[in-house]
Amino acid sequence: MKRDLMEILACPVCKGSLKLTVDEEDEKEIIKGSLYCEDCSVTYPIEETIPNLLPPELHK
Amino acid sequence: MEEKNAKEIKEFVRERYAEIARQHTPSCCAPPIEEGPSCCSPSIVETNPAHRLYSSEELESIAANIPSLGCGNPVALSELREKQVVLDLGSGGGLDCFLAAQRVGPKGKIIGLDMTPDMVRLARANAQNLSLANVEFRLGEMEHMPVESDSVDVVISNCVINLSPDKDAVFREIFRVLNPGGKLCVSDIVTHGELPAQIRDSLDQWACCVAGALDEQVYLDKIRAAGFVELKVDGVDSPICGEDTCCGSESPEGNKIASITVQACKPK
Repeated sequence: MKRDLMEILACPVCKGSLKLTVDEEDEKEIIKGSLYCEDCSVTYPIEETIPNLLPPELHK
Repeated sequence: MEEKNAKEIKEFVRERYAEIARQHTPSCCAPPIEEGPSCCSPSIVETNPAHRLYSSEELESIAANIPSLGCGNPVALSELREKQVVLDLGSGGGLDCFLAAQRVGPKGKIIGLDMTPDMVRLARANAQNLSLANVEFRLGEMEHMPVESDSVDVVISNCVINLSPDKDAVFREIFRVLNPGGKLCVSDIVTHGELPAQIRDSLDQWACCVAGALDEQVYLDKIRAAGFVELKVDGVDSPICGEDTCCGSESPEGNKIASITVQACKPK
């Protein structure tokens, strides 16, 4: 996931903004990390560069 | 008629499309399986209905083994311009995203949304093979889009919205994420007349893009109800997928199943 994608990302449930935490990043994009919605208290993982923004009940 | 549970439908559809994605993901030890199972099913560019939907130039420009699961060519009709932000709902292997990426140029942005992890992985691998920097994929649901309001210029989708058990939510979400003046351009399966209960009740037929298909007028009314204006419909009544017995033809009861591409605008 590229950092500039953050501009148009939103929580899938409340549509609020998400807080990015980066665990691993290369020169192009974020490889591993998470996106946190404060209002919903839900963490959405970023794995292998792909943000998993499925609603929480569908996280596997 | 008993309505299928929305969760059950989604799980079935997700698993079906995950299987298709896995068949098209090369592994280190085995070549990809070339033939997908059935209807709307993917096949690679040389053998598949993609030739009915896309021009040779378009397919050659995406020289990759990408399954086509569509029933139209929304990118061709969407009049994309440079620098636009485009969201593709149910991006699958990424074919429409990659075609869109060429049109919006390096300063444009394409976001592919899909609820199937295997599909998103396949699309990402395809994007890397094509060295496309302006295409991103994310896992998410079209009924609950993880996208900021008023942030997208054009929403495209190809034979996907019929799979949703809550189409009202999908059209509401499309309206929300589009910029004022933004455009919807979706190809989808519709019916002319109600489908019989035994078809609408079949999960197989749902994943096949048939059971979830709405009557064309109902479909268009849902788009209008979400707030869209200036609807324009291009119809394709001829078979639109590889299987003569499936979406392209008629149901056993003779209900006409067709593919349409709808364009509509969010008012400025």
